[in-house]
Amino acid sequence: MKKKYGSRWPNQLGFSLAQGLLLWLVVGVAYAHVTHAQENQNRLTLHAENQEIRKVLTDIEKAAGVRFVYSSQVIDVRQKISLHTTNSTLEEVLGKLFKPLKVAFELVGKKVVLSAPVPGSPETGVLSPPQAEFETAIARRAVSGRVTDEKNTGMGGVSVLLKGTQQGTNTNADGGFQLDLPDGTRSSPVVLVFSFVGYLSQEVTVGNQSFLAVSLAPDNTSLDEVVVTALGIKKQSKSIGYATATVSPEEVTVNRTTNFMNALQGKVAGVNITSLGSGPAGTSKIRIRGQSSFGGNNSPLIVVNGVPIDNTNNGARGDVSERGSNRTSDGGDGLSSINPDNIESMTVLKGAAASALYGSRAKDGVIMITTKIRGAGTGIGLEYNTNFTTDTPLDYTDYQYEYGQGENGVRPTTPFPTSGQWSFGEKFAPGMTQILFDNITVPYEPQRGQINQYYRTGNTWTNTLSLSSGGEFGGFNLSVSNLDNKTILPGSGYSRRTVNLGFTQTLAKKLTVSGNVNYSNEYRKNPPNIAEQDFSPVVLFSMANSMPMELLEKYSTDANGDEVRWSRFTNRTNPYFSLKRFDNIRTDRVFGNLTARYNFTDWLFVQGRIGQDFYSREQDYNLPTGTQRQVPAPPGFVNGQFVQDARNVRELNADFLLGANRTFGVVGVNLNLGGNQMYRKISRHNVLVQDFFSRNLYTIGNSRQRDAVYDLSERQVNSLYASAEVSFKDYFFLNGTARNDWFSTLSPENRSILYPSVTASFVFSQAFASALPNWFSFGKIRAAYGEVGSDTDVPPYASNLFYTINAQQFTSVTGAAQPLANISGTVVPNANLRPMRVSEKEVGLELKLFNNRLGLDLSYYDKLSSDQILRAQTSDAGGYQSQLINVGKSQNRGVEMLLTLTPLTRNNFTWNTTFNVAYNVTKVLDLGAGISDSQITVGTGDFTGELRQVVGQPMGQLFGFGYLRDAQGRQVFDAGNGRPLRTPTQIAFGSALPLWVGGITNGFNYRGISLSVLIDFKLGHKLISGTNHNAWRHGLHKATLVGREEGFVIGNGVNANGEVNKTKSGVQAFYETVRSQNIAEEFVYNAGLWQLRQITLGYDFSKLVSRRVSFIKGLRLSAVANNVALLKKWVPNIHPEQFGFPSDNLLGLEATGLPITRNIGFNLNVRF
Amino acid sequence: MKKLTSFLTAVALLTSMSGCDKGFDELNVNPIALTSVDPAFQFNTAVVSTAFGYHNLQYETIIVKQMINPFSGVGAAGQYNQDNRGVTAANWQQGYRNVVRELTDVLAQTKDVPARSNLYHMTRIWQAYQFMMLTDTYGDIPYLEAGKSYLEGIVKPKYDAQEAVYASLLTELETASAALDATKARVTSDVIYSGDITKWKRLGYSLLLRAGMRLSKVNPTKAAEVVGKAVAGGVMQSNDDNAILRHNANFQNPPGAQLNGGQADFFYLAEDFVTHLKTTDDPRLNSIAVRYIGAKSAVDQKEPSANRTAAAQIGMPQGFDNTTISAAVKTDKLVSLYEYSQLDRSRMANAQAPTFFVTYAQTQLLLAEASFRKWTTGDAAALFANGIRSHMRQLASYGASTAIAEPAITTYVGANPLAAGKELEQINTQYWVASFLNGPEAWANFRRSGFPVLKPNPFPGSDLKTEQFIRRLTYTDAERNVNKTNVEQAIARQGADLLDTRVWWDKK
Repeated sequence: MKKKYGSRWPNQLGFSLAQGLLLWLVVGVAYAHVTHAQENQNRLTLHAENQEIRKVLTDIEKAAGVRFVYSSQVIDVRQKISLHTTNSTLEEVLGKLFKPLKVAFELVGKKVVLSAPVPGSPETGVLSPPQAEFETAIARRAVSGRVTDEKNTGMGGVSVLLKGTQQGTNTNADGGFQLDLPDGTRSSPVVLVFSFVGYLSQEVTVGNQSFLAVSLAPDNTSLDEVVVTALGIKKQSKSIGYATATVSPEEVTVNRTTNFMNALQGKVAGVNITSLGSGPAGTSKIRIRGQSSFGGNNSPLIVVNGVPIDNTNNGARGDVSERGSNRTSDGGDGLSSINPDNIESMTVLKGAAASALYGSRAKDGVIMITTKIRGAGTGIGLEYNTNFTTDTPLDYTDYQYEYGQGENGVRPTTPFPTSGQWSFGEKFAPGMTQILFDNITVPYEPQRGQINQYYRTGNTWTNTLSLSSGGEFGGFNLSVSNLDNKTILPGSGYSRRTVNLGFTQTLAKKLTVSGNVNYSNEYRKNPPNIAEQDFSPVVLFSMANSMPMELLEKYSTDANGDEVRWSRFTNRTNPYFSLKRFDNIRTDRVFGNLTARYNFTDWLFVQGRIGQDFYSREQDYNLPTGTQRQVPAPPGFVNGQFVQDARNVRELNADFLLGANRTFGVVGVNLNLGGNQMYRKISRHNVLVQDFFSRNLYTIGNSRQRDAVYDLSERQVNSLYASAEVSFKDYFFLNGTARNDWFSTLSPENRSILYPSVTASFVFSQAFASALPNWFSFGKIRAAYGEVGSDTDVPPYASNLFYTINAQQFTSVTGAAQPLANISGTVVPNANLRPMRVSEKEVGLELKLFNNRLGLDLSYYDKLSSDQILRAQTSDAGGYQSQLINVGKSQNRGVEMLLTLTPLTRNNFTWNTTFNVAYNVTKVLDLGAGISDSQITVGTGDFTGELRQVVGQPMGQLFGFGYLRDAQGRQVFDAGNGRPLRTPTQIAFGSALPLWVGGITNGFNYRGISLSVLIDFKLGHKLISGTNHNAWRHGLHKATLVGREEGFVIGNGVNANGEVNKTKSGVQAFYETVRSQNIAEEFVYNAGLWQLRQITLGYDFSKLVSRRVSFIKGLRLSAVANNVALLKKWVPNIHPEQFGFPSDNLLGLEATGLPITRNIGFNLNVRF
Repeated sequence: MKKLTSFLTAVALLTSMSGCDKGFDELNVNPIALTSVDPAFQFNTAVVSTAFGYHNLQYETIIVKQMINPFSGVGAAGQYNQDNRGVTAANWQQGYRNVVRELTDVLAQTKDVPARSNLYHMTRIWQAYQFMMLTDTYGDIPYLEAGKSYLEGIVKPKYDAQEAVYASLLTELETASAALDATKARVTSDVIYSGDITKWKRLGYSLLLRAGMRLSKVNPTKAAEVVGKAVAGGVMQSNDDNAILRHNANFQNPPGAQLNGGQADFFYLAEDFVTHLKTTDDPRLNSIAVRYIGAKSAVDQKEPSANRTAAAQIGMPQGFDNTTISAAVKTDKLVSLYEYSQLDRSRMANAQAPTFFVTYAQTQLLLAEASFRKWTTGDAAALFANGIRSHMRQLASYGASTAIAEPAITTYVGANPLAAGKELEQINTQYWVASFLNGPEAWANFRRSGFPVLKPNPFPGSDLKTEQFIRRLTYTDAERNVNKTNVEQAIARQGADLLDTRVWWDKK
């Protein structure tokens, strides 16, 4: 592990030609003139004249692939020096540099650890740190200890100094240290200062203890942090002129969710993630900087290792419509195939400028995922991770339990009552009975907890094993993973098996070949039907409050296996009968890419890459035989449906990139030129059959009526792009990009579209370093402008009119089967569509203050989405229902802030806080001249309410009928029947889009025990609750108790003549008015929530274990809890996110999803 | 530096590269989709899509007091005299989206193709029939510019006044019927008559008769003139000429499918209808009705308790909902509302029951009235009797269990002769019975003739302001959103967009 510099370091470091060239290049830039040194490997040529030491160190780091670690006490990096070496080894260079400075250095791995020479050490500066195991015999007081990082891993090379002196030591590779305290210090407290570059320094007062456990917290300055940007181009963080966010893989692996993106809720500023109430295998809804268009899907582009992958949303009413009746289940999305354990890093590109190089696909930002392609360090590594959580359904209902099942104040007293969904019966009293089903007499008493009686406790278990290796010229990472989920809905589950292989290899020092192959096999079993009453557990939320669940289960079917009628409305399928519904979705997916990069010279490279995402998705599902809901089959058959669907999706991306990077004096130039060809093909075979010969045999062969379809869609986008960056003195960066796309889906005149961007970054803390105070660690301002688009709105073949021939023939009067044909679709074909366009301005500020204990990243953006493709409704009288036109325009403006703070770091204890918040306001600017009343309806609620876009208003306006009020604001009731009257037209209730989204994470670390608590929030939006609407009209809502005692309700208000309302209305009729009159106002709520989202408690047992079992290198155990508690909500009876639609066009139109679950479990990570 | 220059040159060359869209025109052609079909198949789709829907039970059949649905909920419509736009839109959407769109396309494809002239004229007749139902329902409608969103890019069609629409419909029916030519190619795929030109001509002239009679209040002269033309052209001669759609398991009768599915216990026969049939000893009641004796709940509506005898039938009174009806249930000495008489879903409302668009019986009754009015020759009493007889015989088309024995028919016809001074009432009351389950026609003729004499629906809290019965259905909310100028012009012309407003021919 540890090598002293004097040995064979060049071989160990793998100091290659490429690195040598790079050093020459970078060092040359820094020193204001280019020296054409011999290109002699392993040799450095440096010419620094009166440069700051930190500058020199940085350049050597880059050139030699090493990293200096030191504390500010060891060396004053602002000190200026001169250094000239020609053709020298690193050893010589370091010696020449540090000897005059009286600084010791040591090579630990690829780190060069600098320390102050301990008195008595050889003058040459080699420091031999004391071993942890070293038993000192010296009588003087000695203290030993161990320094760990935030992951509780031992930290080597940490400087440990007596405060105010240069005396001290460095930790060894495992973080251990031992230090003799000088004489005469027993009386006064000794303070040790622990420091390490990239980490916050910590002072520890030594009391009587002889062992110190010190944990250092990272400081997030990381001036030279490298960020993966669009197309996989790596850039220095400080050079970037737009907002990015990087996500550490631990955020999605320790306290994880089944669809890993859901674990990021509340963690990234400006990214609004919603896990839907559609089950753990469901879609994760991601919106970056809010909804940007009137379309339903505003999801970001997902890029894995530089190549986009398919993220088709198969959610309930999502991108793909399913055939057959009553289909509102969530078939998941493309993200779920990703095994989070295989993620190396994630970057979120938020704005148009950031994603401009993706042109037509980037309007909603990009989530860039880099997977592991090699082991860390050298040698072979083995890692095992296991994660187990139990998922408990959360019941938020707070219903009335005073009056039970029945209608009009009467409880069921005759067999087969159909009031199973009504709680307008009699008042409960001891000894009362009711008759249910076939004359069963049971007590008439409240049945609380029906929801938890129906659902079960689910669990999720994930196991991942990774094998990796790394070496001088490359490495690989292979991981195998298995996830098994048992969903809270009985009979429902999800399993995923993944194999991921990544590798990289450098050949002949000029050619690097790397790639990754990812295979996933997913099986979704019976994803629940949600948001509608048919075949759905949703009816649980309007279940009569005295219905015994065990009876409901017992009487779910009759002797024939048919559903027993229990509700007046036959579409209220008995939830136990609904379990006869099956749905199997099996996805086999392979995605990955292969990259070859060739370095012509040190400043010019070319890269070619080919990537493919291919999956086949097979699905079969039924509509069970014997429901009350369906029409009986013709004689000789039983009813029901069965569908088989097979889909193949292929997206092929081939691209090349040519890059050049040169410096001319203080000016650096970086050019990239590339091209991409994207080809996408989706084919689908689907057979829908109806009515069966034999019961319970759901097959095509057993069916009476068969309807097979085959769909095909192909599209291609060819692109050329270029970027150019000019830097000045490494603190000012100007970057421009241009991308031109050619679309196969557009008419030749519209086919070619250019997307430009320009960004600037100015690191003023570096430019004005001398003028700024010491506590000002880092400061940067940035500005960007970019234009991007979206090609998804223009489907292939949108310009043509097609016909369909009906699968069934009609028997004419002569008995002959006659064909039927019709025009396909309901949208008027339009040959002149263009992709919509987003232009976005953005400015930002990044600050690091007080030795990095305070960090701020602030962005302001102004985003204009124009040329939006509006599915504009047309007059039915024209024969079609809508027309796609490029007219819509909307604006998103907002501020994002990320604040990092270390309020406390002292004696083994650190407290870190990060607070992120995004404020986003939207406005509809234009819907085209053809729209009456300047508004369009984009979605209709299942029970009540609509979602509209209204010019001049924020996007996503909830509309519905309100209660009629007179000029004085008094509610108006019908003079004849006493029921509430409704407004003549639908009225606006506000936007369903949150204004504020954010989260607060507090992390605590004490002696290796880490605790992290995340609270997130979404505020400033409304919802119309369908669940409450149903609870109201079925008499479960507590507010419907008014009038029960009297047997009538007299609404508080006036009649149409302005007289005080005195008309009595029947109780049930009064509360049912909201349904028959479609009144939404009663159910409009603030949709905001404050949620205690995650708690993670972890401890690193590495030290304890590795002492006993030497082959275990690391062991970390964490207790995790997700969706811990709702701290504040405004909507009664439901969780505000218990809502199943991913579409932005159904936002806020709540229609009862699967209950939200609380997940509690553990995560164990072992490294060998 | 030199290298950089050459690099930049390469960049410039590459970006100016052409041919980045090679092959795109071919790629954007769907290789599997049909770009054309035989328009005769589209014609079939239009005809099948014209079948009356469940929504016609919710308004028309309830307005004329033949059926009633007491249950509240999203379907609240005619039973509460309520303007439920979700339901009023149904005729509009069905007519324009599914029928007018296809037929307009068929007309465009066949207009100038001599070989397809019969298809062209059949399409004109059916198009006229569909437009007639639309204008009878709503009044002024998009007519000349309808169905042309794609063909002519008219996504906001203008509305034509009903008077102009009728003028054009009369011409269309007359000229198209005349132009049908048995010597030209026959449209054998036609699902109604297999392209039988004689029958199509009779249908065309029978529709012309219907359209002409519709003008009896607003323009009797014109009505008489049209009746003359229709009779001269040749109307239906027997039940064999009936325009029937024979539903099957794949194309079910829409109300039949609903009444056999989830809505089985929602609809009941209305008191007025049952009482009329009972008091006149009409044998048709035996074919129409069923009552589940002792049914306490929907589950009890099962075969063992079914009683199909006319004497046992009790119609449900209007004016109640499922919660307030308990008073009537008590008065009628029933155990629950589920015990009222229903349209028998195992017979006339079975899922494969035929749809009758235009019948010989209706035609005979219209002729009876025309001849009574002296607009045509013929014996009104004989035509009247023949109309009743034909409708009774027509019931056999639902199956043997609804067929009425000839002696029963003779008895009824003999017992109910056309009586002096009551001709119009008798004829149109029979038309009402003969149009049972054809909601649009029963309602239109009720509005035109004023018969049968019905008591207004007493349900409290009606949306009607001035009228006793619903006189038209309101335009769709969508039209106000997307075709505002044109719909407002129509409203300005014909009156407020209310259930009360009378259409042009429905003169007071």
